[in-house]
Amino acid sequence: MSAVSHDPPQRHPSAFAGWRPRLRAGLARFAMTTLAGLILAAIVHIVTVLAIPALSRHDAAHAYRALGTEGHAEPIPLPGNAGGLPALREADPNVVTAICSYDLSAGPIRIVARTGTLPLGLTLHRQGGGVLYAITDRAAIRGTLEFLVMTEAQRDERIAADDEGETSRELRVVSDAEQGLIVARVLMRLPSDRADAEALATGVACGAAN
Amino acid sequence: MRILDLAYILALGGGLGLGTAHWAVAGRPAIGRVEVGAWTAWPGSGSRDVDPYMRAYLARGVHLPLGSGEGLELIADRDDAGQPLDGRCRYKLSGTTPTTRGWTIGVTDSDGLPFSLPLERTSFTDSEIVRPEDGGLAIIAAATPEAGNWLPLPASGRFQIRLRLYDTPISSQTGETRATNLPRITRVDCR
Repeated sequence: MSAVSHDPPQRHPSAFAGWRPRLRAGLARFAMTTLAGLILAAIVHIVTVLAIPALSRHDAAHAYRALGTEGHAEPIPLPGNAGGLPALREADPNVVTAICSYDLSAGPIRIVARTGTLPLGLTLHRQGGGVLYAITDRAAIRGTLEFLVMTEAQRDERIAADDEGETSRELRVVSDAEQGLIVARVLMRLPSDRADAEALATGVACGAAN
Repeated sequence: MRILDLAYILALGGGLGLGTAHWAVAGRPAIGRVEVGAWTAWPGSGSRDVDPYMRAYLARGVHLPLGSGEGLELIADRDDAGQPLDGRCRYKLSGTTPTTRGWTIGVTDSDGLPFSLPLERTSFTDSEIVRPEDGGLAIIAAATPEAGNWLPLPASGRFQIRLRLYDTPISSQTGETRATNLPRITRVDCR
């Protein structure tokens, strides 16, 4: 086989003149624009997923912002409640949930929970997603769970105000978001435990720390 | 032609980017999922460093996941043989549960909502069940009444079984848990 036999056919030069290079250029252009589109799609995908928590107005922190601002936790609304608040999704029917909404712009918040015979858990959900802190009644001292929620700057202020050489005995939890929810969950072992569970959950105090 | 190219790039990038983002966070994401036997859990959902897909999924609805130190939720939508859970079948839940302060086991639809059935029994707690002599777990999930611990199912269609463990040490090491430490879901028969 010689190289001559691989030469393109010369019989119809007018029919192919300029057609192949144009097709090749068009395909190359399509491939490049598609590649650019896919890169843009990847960027849009990542930015969208990261932006949803910050932009969402339907999350629990926004829905339950008005609950528990009176100094004690309030039970989550039932489906079809008068206030029009959305019900908690994927909730355990055997658990009583009460919420304290917090805003640290006015200063640190002190959480005090009395424990009982039913399992109690307290969690700190920051606005924008993420559970910052979780504690159960097994960590209670003399039947009381107590901790403070504050921003990093407020913690630094408090450490500076601590007495020299003395260790503070209070439990300080730093929240990197100023707003969020403190969620108290009490498990009802039996349906008859509902009243006790509600009393425990709504008995969680959340007021300004002095 | 350049405007056409730009329009194509923007349409492809915007459409595909937004479409895949919506698809990725419409349900519980595959990232961070831990499977133990028939059960699936997302132990990272209750931590400070929840992954971005789970964070976005949780932010799209009113969700308050269990904290990592508070408990763990396990979801099963298949039985131990890998077949989807169906209301037309009877299932037996047996075996053991990990060490906890308390647990609940319930039947929900795929959105986590309980079914509205004539009998208001959607779940059991560890104190409510009657145990056999060996102290194990024996729950029958079926659409028709059963003796013992009966968990009513919808007459047909897919459902999920949700096991919630409160104050359990396995919430921080879910990946190392063996399937034998969790309840088994066995299909008994089907109509």
